[in-house]
Amino acid sequence: MNGPPMGARWLKLGFVGPTLVFLIAFNVFPLAYNVVLGFTNAELVGGGREGVGGANYGRVFSDAQFADALRLTALFVFLAVTSELLIGFGVALALQRRFRGKGAVLTALLVPMMLSPAVMGLYWNLILNGNYGVLNQVLDAVGLAQPQWTTDKNLKLLSVLMIDVWMWTPFMLLIALAGLNSIPQSIYEAAEIDRAGRWTVFRRITLPMTAPLLVLAALFRTTDALKQFDLVMAVTGPNDAATQTLSTLLYQVVFRDGRVGLGSAYACLVLVVVIAIATVFTRYLDILQRRAVA
Amino acid sequence: MRALRWAVVGSYLFLAMLPLAWMALTSIKDREDTISQNARFVPAPVESTSPDSVAYPATLDAYRTLNEVFIGARHSFWHHLGNSVIIGVLSTLASVLLGTACAYGFSRFRIAGAKDWLFFILSTRFMPPLAVVVPVLLMYRRFDLQGTHVGLILLYTAFNLSLAVWLMKGFIDEIPRAFEEAALVDGYSRLDAFRRIIVPQAATGMAVTAVFCLISAWNEYGFAMTLNSSSAVTVPAYFAGLQGNIEGMPWPQVAAGALLFVAPIVLFTVLVRRHLLRGITFGTIKQ
Repeated sequence: MNGPPMGARWLKLGFVGPTLVFLIAFNVFPLAYNVVLGFTNAELVGGGREGVGGANYGRVFSDAQFADALRLTALFVFLAVTSELLIGFGVALALQRRFRGKGAVLTALLVPMMLSPAVMGLYWNLILNGNYGVLNQVLDAVGLAQPQWTTDKNLKLLSVLMIDVWMWTPFMLLIALAGLNSIPQSIYEAAEIDRAGRWTVFRRITLPMTAPLLVLAALFRTTDALKQFDLVMAVTGPNDAATQTLSTLLYQVVFRDGRVGLGSAYACLVLVVVIAIATVFTRYLDILQRRAVA
Repeated sequence: MRALRWAVVGSYLFLAMLPLAWMALTSIKDREDTISQNARFVPAPVESTSPDSVAYPATLDAYRTLNEVFIGARHSFWHHLGNSVIIGVLSTLASVLLGTACAYGFSRFRIAGAKDWLFFILSTRFMPPLAVVVPVLLMYRRFDLQGTHVGLILLYTAFNLSLAVWLMKGFIDEIPRAFEEAALVDGYSRLDAFRRIIVPQAATGMAVTAVFCLISAWNEYGFAMTLNSSSAVTVPAYFAGLQGNIEGMPWPQVAAGALLFVAPIVLFTVLVRRHLLRGITFGTIKQ
């Protein structure tokens, strides 16, 4: 709710202005500059650059690398968000009832999402190592095969995915719990009077009433997983066809190959994708806020 | 049903905690024990154990040797931890101050297109660092900010503003307007009302916001790695840089350093546990 105008225009600007200046300098300006650079042959080393028209974009579209990274990122986002949502929701259902020490257990479960992906990803290399990692030692103890998680090209993406699921399932768990807690107990009681079965209650009450928040959580995670960089860098480095996401491709092109112009063209296309998803997210959030669900 | 619940929660808790527990065990090993072929998971206060034992001699050497400069790095862990603290704390202060003022503006004044501005502010968070880093890098070269603490502080401040504004807007919206209106009637200026009424009322919210800003600056890697090659490198970029180390990773020291690095975050998570939902969803979901 906005009240009547209470202050002079400069006063508003004094409160809001500095933040907007910061965001324009560090977001709007880089975006615009990216567009300009995308039409040049700028390199990381050396200052000179010339306009090359749409040559970079021509290369981007004729080169399979960008399409591959886009496909891989989409696959990664889909697998990560779906598994995190399913596991998170499942654990949230199990955590629904009150019990002693619930607060402590919940806090412990949530810790992984607060940690540094780069640091934890690096450390996961020790856990996943094919020859001396503890995961394979456990698999050995129970008589299962011990794959080379981080070096087998068919398993590298799975390794990144496992770490991502470990880190981000708590995010889904927390939001799913909030959704479950927001369902009034009286609805469950009414269902009990109607002798509704457990499955009917879940399908007709629990699921539809938590769905809006779960969708919001999934969109949130999608915008985040789309940026996937830290874990891929930790497990395989930027230039591995089995795991090259959009962000690591950008890193490879700009910082390893030094091709700033080409990288900027890539970045502009990545930003189109990001802005599209962000728009879906903010629209959905707006709808939820109007309905006062969120 | 009850048994199933316990099985699900128990096994998930075990898996969630396992990497951290293993990290703690690794940090008190010798390097040979970290890469031994058989699992060694029982620390023992002895000098040596047999090669096929699950027990290993516990040692604090890894913590003692964190002041060494490892191959692939130019400074010790402590130097980089210092960078993380300086950059994290200063950028957090700046984000919370600017964000609180901005949130107050959006909460209390009629601003044309307020909703669009707020969604614009939120959407800046969705930008992948790697997609905006080149212009920032060129800009920083021009202004001699590349590889400096100030450069990263400014960048993290901007990066965290979306979080700070949205979280603080939620907290300030909850403060009754009657408080300031009474103060304004009493002759306080708008700025005084903000300083003496709103800031104290919003103190908890500011503390929570600060924790979330600090964590995201503390953990950031993409910018830290690409804008830096020397003095202002933060811990995540430092550890990642050790990966090229041909003699193999100094795993006990990595575990010890990583544990020290994440310990404050675990503590903060416990402190703000009631506000976690708000923090991770930018205040869009409240409870």
